[in-house]
Amino acid sequence: MSRPFAPGAYEHAIDVRSFIQANYTPYEGGADFLCPPTARTRALMEDVNALLKAETEKGGVLDIDTECVSSLLTYPAGYIDKDKEIIVGLQTDAPLRRGVNPFGGIRMARQACEAYGYKLSDVVEQEFSYKTTHNDAVFHVYTDEMKAVRHAGLLTGLPDAYGRGRIIGDYRRVALYGVDRLIEEKRKDKRAYGERPMDEANIRTLEELYKQIDFLQKLKDMALLYGVDISAPAQNAKEAVQWTYFAYLAAIKEQNGAAESLGRVSTFFDIYIERDIADGVLTEEAAQELIDDFVIKLRITRQLRTPEYNELFGGDPTWTTESIGGMGEDGRTLVTRTSFRILHTLYNLGAAPEPNLTVLWSEKLPEPFKNFCAKVSIDTDSIQYENDDLMRPIYGDDYGIACCVSAMKIGKQMQFFGARCNLAKLLLLAINGGKDEKSGKQLGPVGEVFTGPLDYGKVRAAYSQYMAWLCRLYVNTLNVIHFMHDKYAYEKVQMALHDTEVERFLACGVAGLSVAVDSLSAIKYAKVTPRYDAEGILCGFTTEGDFPKYGNDDDRVDAIAAELVREFHAQLQKTPAYRGAIHTLSVLTITSNVAYGKKTGATPDGRAAGEPFAPGANPMHERDASGALASLNSVAKIPYDCCRDGVSNTFSIVPSALGEDREARAENLCDMLDGYFGRGAHHLNVNVFDRDRLLAAMEHPERYPNITVRVSGYAVNFHKLSRAHQLEVLKRTYHARV
Amino acid sequence: MSGREEGRSVGYIDSVYCGSGVDGPGLRCVVFFSGCNLRCPFCHNPETLYKRGTMSDINGLLERLKRYRGYFRRGGVTLSGGEPFLQRGFALALAQALRAEGIRVCIETNGHICDPALIAAGDIVCDVKNQQTDDLSPYERFFAECVRQGKTAAVTNVLVPGVNDGEEKVRALARLVHRYFPQARIRFLPFRKLCVQKYEELGIAFPYASVREAEDEDVDRAEMIARNAVIDPET
Repeated sequence: MSRPFAPGAYEHAIDVRSFIQANYTPYEGGADFLCPPTARTRALMEDVNALLKAETEKGGVLDIDTECVSSLLTYPAGYIDKDKEIIVGLQTDAPLRRGVNPFGGIRMARQACEAYGYKLSDVVEQEFSYKTTHNDAVFHVYTDEMKAVRHAGLLTGLPDAYGRGRIIGDYRRVALYGVDRLIEEKRKDKRAYGERPMDEANIRTLEELYKQIDFLQKLKDMALLYGVDISAPAQNAKEAVQWTYFAYLAAIKEQNGAAESLGRVSTFFDIYIERDIADGVLTEEAAQELIDDFVIKLRITRQLRTPEYNELFGGDPTWTTESIGGMGEDGRTLVTRTSFRILHTLYNLGAAPEPNLTVLWSEKLPEPFKNFCAKVSIDTDSIQYENDDLMRPIYGDDYGIACCVSAMKIGKQMQFFGARCNLAKLLLLAINGGKDEKSGKQLGPVGEVFTGPLDYGKVRAAYSQYMAWLCRLYVNTLNVIHFMHDKYAYEKVQMALHDTEVERFLACGVAGLSVAVDSLSAIKYAKVTPRYDAEGILCGFTTEGDFPKYGNDDDRVDAIAAELVREFHAQLQKTPAYRGAIHTLSVLTITSNVAYGKKTGATPDGRAAGEPFAPGANPMHERDASGALASLNSVAKIPYDCCRDGVSNTFSIVPSALGEDREARAENLCDMLDGYFGRGAHHLNVNVFDRDRLLAAMEHPERYPNITVRVSGYAVNFHKLSRAHQLEVLKRTYHARV
Repeated sequence: MSGREEGRSVGYIDSVYCGSGVDGPGLRCVVFFSGCNLRCPFCHNPETLYKRGTMSDINGLLERLKRYRGYFRRGGVTLSGGEPFLQRGFALALAQALRAEGIRVCIETNGHICDPALIAAGDIVCDVKNQQTDDLSPYERFFAECVRQGKTAAVTNVLVPGVNDGEEKVRALARLVHRYFPQARIRFLPFRKLCVQKYEELGIAFPYASVREAEDEDVDRAEMIARNAVIDPET
């Protein structure tokens, strides 16, 4: 019999944080306790590697089940190799076989099948001919103006044809409470809401609660397909991991949202693991094996995507983001031995992009943990860092990161993902009197067409006017999308693993920030004259003289960046958001910086038409020439208070510039993170490698199947990127000391 | 040196590079001084020899460098160049101002100007230039002053294949360093040609364009010779 857990508020209400705080054991030591992979893990990983190789050879998709519609009970139990697995459960009946999920839109499901040489079955086609999908519904309502800005690429990547994702179910609840208790609590809520006046909002909530309860039942049935009864709480470490994984698995069977993130499970698992070890029923080797096996499962999650989708979100990411470490509100670190164990999977199983391991960095993290993280970065380029000291005061100490940089209190907050607006293209629109520089079509209100050398004050004022116009349109467009998503593709499992009363964010975004900022700087400090073609359409600029460039810690231009995001956020807030959501803003592009660049004409900063933008909040390629720290300081000036959905910075430094040896490099990387985050910066993707290594991988992909690169809030296998995306990654600044 | 030069508040610098892990301990900002008393044919920073640089005042520079304080747990500011010892008053004032802010200072020099005040102004990295001469006497003077101040200079040496990687040269250098700093290890910097573009931009021929770059093996070999030379100085 295991010793009982320490009591707490979690016994009386659903409160995972209280359970963690009452029971976890902070770990301040080093990595020397970690175990290598067992023979079983190695054998299973070999099977998985063979499958991954076959997937690559087949053009990126191993197999598609075209007969069924993906959901919790659609497929029989599936295994990689039943005898070797400790944690069980696959999305379909076979590893890497992708299911179809047409709830977002039947056309996309059809096209995705066709892109890989499959045909969606007649059964599915027929079934959905009677259904309104999320995609159908959105387009029933979209105005001509919404369609036009979407088509022109002023708003891009909107979740109107696929699941919105970025919702983190509190999957730990299933392990801590068992499904029956969760159903009981939701039934209680439903009875309480039944007493309220039946207005539209209340009726909607009641219907959602019905769906949540229904799918919690299905979650139990799904586990039973694998012979596991999850109605009661998990009793040991293996069950805690298995229960939690089943909950996550149910979510990704039901939803194909771009980012289906995991939350913050490692320290939660640690409580069970440490108890089992103390009870003598688990060894360190077996504990690592459990985490290794869990991570193997997370590495082979897949969704079926169209080629157009891959252009925006390159490399087949799933954003199975796991937030690791951080500090507690009481000053104890939330780092546990399992924080080490999950990072150690990158050695035991090899480097990999998923799960998206995200370290919540605090100046106060234990030094041995910091040092270990830095070494993992240097060795694998597979992890990212986010500023816990910045987020903890806002979100407490049980938040998680969805996707790349979106923080939310787990089980208490959710977001309506809103993709992003192209700030660089908007500037061209403002110079061009509201016309799209690509098509010549009038997209926005008719305004002054600027000729002759540009006057900064006048252009800036016009930019503000167009920003106000677009922000209103943007929020309204998102309201349509999320109303319809709730109506036709509601996240039943994930929302069942939230409190019934949740706080919602409307997560808007901007792309092309550094291009817009440098362009404005050029107009302000150099002489910029627009050029027009015979039809009077803006076709380029003549820029004479030099100007300060974002990324060199030069306040003259960095202040423009801060001012733009502040203004954009203020404009967004003027239009009310669906369901009372709080407007937030991200400076993040995923890999859409390439697609956005393609859709944007030449800009005053000297960027040619079609050329990719820098990713996220990064300075434009090679313009941050004053050194790594100057580049970091510039990005750190983007104010998080108006960019609560995250400020993404992807950073590459060559090993020989970071330090003389591995030890010095690790120390210097720690100092760099402390320094950067100490200036209030939010996020850093860290790559430590030479450009030559990527060039070699591009020439001989077969020799470098596991090269992992942090791109923009997530990591990818370099060989899975399109040629255009690979070239963009190569163009980025690699901080070196020549 | 005239008294007027003590605490000189303006000087000429080529650039400031913020973020090096290889110019002294920890992370560093490097201030590249313009002007040099030598004309080494393998020079990596020809822009500091042939351009006048930008006139900069201490206050502006200090304000700029202070922004990186948060990164300096182990690191600090490195004065490099060019030859920082040439702009005596400016270098001294800058080093003093940085130290007053609690920022550690490291000075990279070619060791040909033996200036006690400057040697005292920071940690010293001395790059020994034995590529075109066997006369190491300037370093005798420089190192002796370091020793007098109780200081160990970190010694570097650009290893140019076929020029100074022969046994005799390496041994002589190793013995010299050993005499003054018995615990120190020479850091051999492999000769690289990444600076070719800089010469092109200056319209100056790169004197060592045809010399091959040094590889890791060259460095390993030189390190071995240097080690052996001080273990058994008679051979």
